Amino acid sequence: MASLIGFYSLFFSLGFSVLILFFSFKNLKNTINFDNKLLSLTFLQLLFIILSFFGLIIAFINSDFSNSTVFNHSHTTKPLFYKISGTWGNHEGSLLLWLLVLSLFIFLFLISSKKQPKKYRVLTLLFQQIIIIGFLIFLIQTSNPFAQIYPVPSEGLGLNPILQDPALAIHPPILYLGYVGSSIIFSSVLAASSTNYISKEWAKHIKQWILISWIFLTLGILLGSIWAYYELGWGGFWFWDPVENVSLMPWLALTTLFHCVLVLEKKLLLTSWVVILSIATFTLSMSGTFLVRSGILNSVHTFANDPERGLYILIFLFTLIFLSLFVFFFFHKTDRQNNSSFFWLSKETSILINNWFMMYFLAVVLIGTIYPIFLDVLTSQKISVGPPFYHKLIIPFLIPFLLAMAIGPKLNWIKSNLQNKSYLLLLFAISLILSFLIIRILEISFLVNTILFTSAFYLFFITLRDFFIKGFKNLAQNIAHFGFSLLILSILFNNFLSNEVITNLKIGETYKSDELTINFEKIEKIKKQNFEAIIGKFNVKSDNELVDILKPELRIYNQPNIVTSEADIKTNLLSDKFMTMNLVQNQEYFNIRYQIKPFMIWIWFSVILISFGGLFSFFKKKYEN
Amino acid sequence: MKMLNLLVIIIFLFNFNVSNAKDRNLNSKITKNLRCLICQGQSIHDSDTEFANSLKLVVEKKITEGMSENEIYEFLKTKYGEWILYDPALNQKTYILWLLPLLLFLIGGAIIFKNLKIKKN
Repeated sequence: MASLIGFYSLFFSLGFSVLILFFSFKNLKNTINFDNKLLSLTFLQLLFIILSFFGLIIAFINSDFSNSTVFNHSHTTKPLFYKISGTWGNHEGSLLLWLLVLSLFIFLFLISSKKQPKKYRVLTLLFQQIIIIGFLIFLIQTSNPFAQIYPVPSEGLGLNPILQDPALAIHPPILYLGYVGSSIIFSSVLAASSTNYISKEWAKHIKQWILISWIFLTLGILLGSIWAYYELGWGGFWFWDPVENVSLMPWLALTTLFHCVLVLEKKLLLTSWVVILSIATFTLSMSGTFLVRSGILNSVHTFANDPERGLYILIFLFTLIFLSLFVFFFFHKTDRQNNSSFFWLSKETSILINNWFMMYFLAVVLIGTIYPIFLDVLTSQKISVGPPFYHKLIIPFLIPFLLAMAIGPKLNWIKSNLQNKSYLLLLFAISLILSFLIIRILEISFLVNTILFTSAFYLFFITLRDFFIKGFKNLAQNIAHFGFSLLILSILFNNFLSNEVITNLKIGETYKSDELTINFEKIEKIKKQNFEAIIGKFNVKSDNELVDILKPELRIYNQPNIVTSEADIKTNLLSDKFMTMNLVQNQEYFNIRYQIKPFMIWIWFSVILISFGGLFSFFKKKYEN
Repeated sequence: MKMLNLLVIIIFLFNFNVSNAKDRNLNSKITKNLRCLICQGQSIHDSDTEFANSLKLVVEKKITEGMSENEIYEFLKTKYGEWILYDPALNQKTYILWLLPLLLFLIGGAIIFKNLKIKKN
């Protein structure tokens, strides 16, 4: 029943789309004021999509196996929480979620943009409706979440155990809020372009949407990363896996866009560039969906493998790109006043440098992700592009990037000089000496590392100083930049100070090395609703005589029948102690992997700090208005 | 002075190689650069499948036999194909991969520089 309501709601929403298109065109031609009918229609459309989404959730909660999505991704013994999160843990459901966010955002856009010109608002709604219609047809045609099965199976196939996790339950919705948020930026920029409304007012208004999108995307990436860290069991948090890259690319584009919009808001410069970036951000989000959903990528996230869907998204994507290029070339007027000059040493230049490096990082990630696919298709030669590639191309460029990030915000608009700023040099000297000492102590004598540490510390100290000197002025920007320096420093220390032991142990055995002993005390077996677990108990003694008890698990899930290894992690401010346990085939030994990962919590914390910078900026502007 | 700088750099680089020459580090460095062919997006080092474990042993054996890092990559490449290496070598097939980002960086720099110059006048 719930499935049926859900299914027909989709058709009703499609009907509302048609109505909205009709009234938008009418509204564009005739009246002066925004037709409030459009707002009501958008609201009704949202309501029906919510209804459809709830229909699917209820089908999942009731384990209604006549619905093929529920049958393929759920099971009666699953805890309620994962039944619900299973709704978007699959292709069909996650697209329905996309659609929900699309319509939610356009509704929010309409009610929050009442001060904007009528034509611009109607056009934004129109462009957004094109995207919504595309997704509705895609959903109904190729990935119906409400497809029926007859005869009704008595039991479902279950959800992949690695997806049964609290962080991953909320990761997709948060990430999608970021992805889909960029659709508003896309629709808005096309509308603003075609009505010649790209102005300081527009920049001020769209900046809020960029921030919303950016904050959610940042948090979404963070959640995915935390999940990978404890669930995939190898103790890393970023592997430059194509699916990770696909979420990083819109993030890079959005971050660049945000900085550009600041220039646009203040100086009315870079208008074309802002348009291109806005289009690129949404295109990257869409391509991300395409790459992940079509099964082209060889990765853990590929839970759909269907060429028809891939083809549809590809055609849809090209239509949108074509549409946006059309609007850009035929309607967009380039910078009307080209006389606004600025000196080489100015805030404008520093933001251009930011753009330059961000675009380079984006190019590296983009080429690294799609080049192997093209090579495979064209020459059927398979190559792998992994972490070493990205590290080699990104790390050296991070050094000037960090320095520019430290000095850039110190500059004034149009022209500035660096007199009376001797502290810049002083802090640089301090950073250099500190880095040199650290490199000596860590015994990693390598030139690049010294410079990298220096530039990261430099940004760290400069932003830290600003907290005290400037107080609330530029606080949002300062928090975000400070967070970034903290992130780089934590990653560096994490990388250089990590330590690990891999060994095979029997119950009762003890591993000894110079630094620590690991005693395998016992195993326990417990039975839960949807899995059985073997829990090992290990006493780890380090040289300071403190004993840590770690209890890694092996879980044998009943449906589907998969064995997963659950890490046990002891976290404190300085380091994480991370242990996983695996079965060794046909033996009584267990494979034990014990890792000490310094500053893990600081990596998470610094990303939260970065997004907090965005949040602060969002509310600050609201307050000033 | 220049010679002195060069000397310092050479010593730095040399030290780096010496300190990293421990077998254990080399082993994990190599296995981190190898793709576990039967896993999904994991390195040999991070994987615990039978395939990964046997390859860890192969790498260990080759190190004790005195093979250098590059020789081991070469050996595995001929056996399993280039798919296994996470760090693609610079050759005909990968010129675009390695050089296009750098080229774009230069072009971007040129565009910015050109605009700055015009606006200065």
